[in-house]
Amino acid sequence: MKMAGSQTKAWSPGVRRRVRQAIYDFHVRAFGEEMARVNFLPLAERRRYVADMVDHAVRKGVKFDKPALGVTP
Amino acid sequence: MPLSYAELEQFYEGLVARARRRGIVCAITSGMACVAYGVAQATQDCDVLCAPDAAGKFLDLLGEASLHGQLPSYRGHLTPPLDARWLRGGWTSHFVWDAAGAEAYLDIFGVAPRGSSPWEAELQGFYAGPHTVAEMKRTNRGKDWPFVTAMGAQMLEARDERGWLHIYDEKLLRTFGRASPAPAELLKRRPLLELAVANDSRLHAVLYAEVQFWHELDRARLGIYQKAVRPYLMAVKKAHVPTGSALATQHEIRVRCAEKHLPTNPLGDYGIERMIGEAQEALREMVQPAALAWLPDVREQFKLVAA
Repeated sequence: MKMAGSQTKAWSPGVRRRVRQAIYDFHVRAFGEEMARVNFLPLAERRRYVADMVDHAVRKGVKFDKPALGVTP
Repeated sequence: MPLSYAELEQFYEGLVARARRRGIVCAITSGMACVAYGVAQATQDCDVLCAPDAAGKFLDLLGEASLHGQLPSYRGHLTPPLDARWLRGGWTSHFVWDAAGAEAYLDIFGVAPRGSSPWEAELQGFYAGPHTVAEMKRTNRGKDWPFVTAMGAQMLEARDERGWLHIYDEKLLRTFGRASPAPAELLKRRPLLELAVANDSRLHAVLYAEVQFWHELDRARLGIYQKAVRPYLMAVKKAHVPTGSALATQHEIRVRCAEKHLPTNPLGDYGIERMIGEAQEALREMVQPAALAWLPDVREQFKLVAA
């Protein structure tokens, strides 16, 4: 089996649509409606959104640094 | 005025680009890679995978990598030296650029935690491939798991079958199971996929058990490293590295301490089988016994660090 290759059988347009909707619903469940929307934006817009979000958080005093333990989870 | 996210991102990508021009195989992973792969994560620090053999060259590069006029330092007493011996053994080296208002944090790995295949083989632009990033996110932190699933779903949509290994949402797993069968090879690697494809009612309990298994494995792994680092921590503290000393000086001191006090591969020394056995034992107390039969064989995920 070629691990990074194509699937054995391509999905029909109907299946593809259902899968796509299920993935979007998962994003809503896992990340909330707003972040689900962001996750489906084109890359440049998503990066801009994350940049604005992080910059705003930093201005409000949020620290993003993780402890330096020599090993990472 | 603190550095903006865009400036930091540009700085880290510039660092990787410069490293590659010097022949260093490296890639950004974790949060910043997730953003690139369609799952927004608020992060400011950068995790970079670097081929262990190129650790010395990367250290040289860091010694010249100024950010707002500031050069980086090793971060904290626990940080192992950026040296092939320790990178190969699964340690992470931490660095900080500590200019007032312009802090930047960089963590460097040689081996991707839980990586089942060499990350060097699948780079996408500045980033490690989604398969590697997803494997690295199987941590003991609950917040990481939706990122794993999101990347797995994206891989399946892009027709990369390994996405099956990363779906940890029951509903989504059943949807994929209805859409197409999982390849036989992957059923061997992740037995619960059989339950997903058959839309079996046991899937819920087994999925829970599998996630808990990864949590326990990560706890066990971190415990092994944290215990192994203690003598080194004391040695680095005692060494009193002068504040503001050059990165090369800090490095020499850490290498001296590490050579005496820091095992290069504590996980290999401890034994992968032993660690897996302990994680399984811990799991017995928290999941349905029948679910244990459906757990994946995880030895592949630790073979690279044990090598």
